[in-house]
Amino acid sequence: MSFLSLVVKNPFRNKTRSSLAIVGIAIGIMVIVALGMITGGLENSTQSTLKAGAAEITVSQAGSTGIESIGSINQTYATDILSLSGVKSTAGILRASNTTTATTSPNSTQGGFGGGLSITGIDSDKLSLMGVDSVNGTTFTNDSTNQVIIGKTEAQSLNKTVGDTINLYGQNFTITGTFETGNFMTDNGIMMPLSTLQDLTTNQNKVSDVLVKVTDNANVTTVSNTITNAYPNQLTTSTAADSANRINQGLGFISTASWAISLLAIFIGAVGVINTMVMTVYERTREIGVLKAVGWKNSRILGMILGESIVLTLIAFVVGTVIAVVGVEVLLTLVPSVGNAITPSFSIYIFLRAFGIALLVGVIGGLYPAYRASRLSPTEALRYE
Amino acid sequence: MNNNQNIIEIKDLKKGYDNGKIKALNGMNLEVKKGEFISIMGPSGSGKSSLLNMIGGLDIADEGTIKVAGIDMMTTKNLNKFRSKEIGFVFQMHNLIPNLSVVENVEIPMYETNTSSKDMRKRALDLLKSVNLGDKIDQKPTKLSGGERQRVAIARALVNNPSIILADEPTGSLDSKTGEVILDLLKDLHKKENVTLVMVTHEPYVGNMAERIITVLDGKCLTDNKTTNSK
Repeated sequence: MSFLSLVVKNPFRNKTRSSLAIVGIAIGIMVIVALGMITGGLENSTQSTLKAGAAEITVSQAGSTGIESIGSINQTYATDILSLSGVKSTAGILRASNTTTATTSPNSTQGGFGGGLSITGIDSDKLSLMGVDSVNGTTFTNDSTNQVIIGKTEAQSLNKTVGDTINLYGQNFTITGTFETGNFMTDNGIMMPLSTLQDLTTNQNKVSDVLVKVTDNANVTTVSNTITNAYPNQLTTSTAADSANRINQGLGFISTASWAISLLAIFIGAVGVINTMVMTVYERTREIGVLKAVGWKNSRILGMILGESIVLTLIAFVVGTVIAVVGVEVLLTLVPSVGNAITPSFSIYIFLRAFGIALLVGVIGGLYPAYRASRLSPTEALRYE
Repeated sequence: MNNNQNIIEIKDLKKGYDNGKIKALNGMNLEVKKGEFISIMGPSGSGKSSLLNMIGGLDIADEGTIKVAGIDMMTTKNLNKFRSKEIGFVFQMHNLIPNLSVVENVEIPMYETNTSSKDMRKRALDLLKSVNLGDKIDQKPTKLSGGERQRVAIARALVNNPSIILADEPTGSLDSKTGEVILDLLKDLHKKENVTLVMVTHEPYVGNMAERIITVLDGKCLTDNKTTNSK
């Protein structure tokens, strides 16, 4: 039997104790992997908000909280801003939500991130500024009053496809196409002609925001400042990078919290490993005496105990990772509103980080017991009862 | 080293415990020739086990000189290597590792000898056959009788071809019949392998099986007598 086989075999002498230690560490690993997959997925979604082709600047009413969903600024700003230096194109958009939606399908559920249907009114030739590069099917025509396109995740949530009808504001609309931008907020919504939504929400000639795409050589910040300077106390701007940074800041908090939870879990796991390995060394004191008597070097005894500790934590890594992956997938399937919004990340970095942490816990947890075992006096160890 | 040379040379050896309050060895002198079978006898606390520990390199004396297999035990730094190469221990309580099979237990001392796993297994199997345990190689020690366990321990002690076997009350935990079987086995191996056998015992009939009986009292050698088994 090789020394490695011996190291792998030894931790399972006391199956109950080893299993409990593995469960303790596996919980920590599970938390690390699961949170990593979710925050990683959110980060990926944030990155897609900066995709090429989409508007770089969003212009809103000065003092706006960003929560208002109805028209708050005059639509003519879209034309006015277009004349400013560095502006390539603009699009007035109206954001509304339809929380009392009844659909024509009896089996369909009410969708939308957060429970309501998010509806955006925009001219069909300006869809690229919302990040919609292509539509599966056809897009709506600007003068239509009964056509919409629907985001991919919203379509899945409502079980709708091209050609189906959807009831909004008490009126049936035909879904002419579906789109996917990669931004979970946008993909959880419906788009229709700006004028139609304005009529439905009695916001004629009003928009919520003006999306601005800058010219190729223009600096986004400079153009943003030009707009605010041109309309002081009337309009405010935020860039896509700002939005992404704000989201990233939020994700940063989640990430910090996940690290804090992970560290706590690791600490508890490490204490469990130390306890298990110290008990192991106590119970095997006489055996360690025998190993010394037959000529084992201190370094080999240290390596054996440390190796056993690492074996425990690596098994915990495998168990914790499997539970995390399966758990996240099950959770996202069972809760479609979250599942449609988040695509978990399977970045190798997440798993490498968890592996590194498991290894570290194994080394830290095993170091003291291993050192203790290696320093035992053979005569005292052999006398141990 | 031939059989006329001393494999163990001890002169005025002293060892104290508890800051010198307990004098386990107090001027011990002993010479053992290669291939000899000696028994060390004496009451509890006389220094028998301490002497065995010094010979086996498990402990270091405070004063005096001790040379085992040509190695100065007072100055050598690598006692692990010495134990691995020169010494085979047989304990009263066999001390086998419970989760390992019989053959794996016998392999344990070979980890420090750079022997391949295949050769380790072959050597262990050969020895187990020689102690009549060839049919129990995959069993766990807990499934064996006391005598069988002690035979495994003897195989383990011999696996690195040591020049000295140190047996500390090898029959102490066995009934008299099984004890005799173990002693016969030790004697046979001693003869066959020409290995020096140093056995600590407090039972006279066990001690009488040796070629020499050393009586120890208060950490000193009290008597040193040859028996009828002497060559």
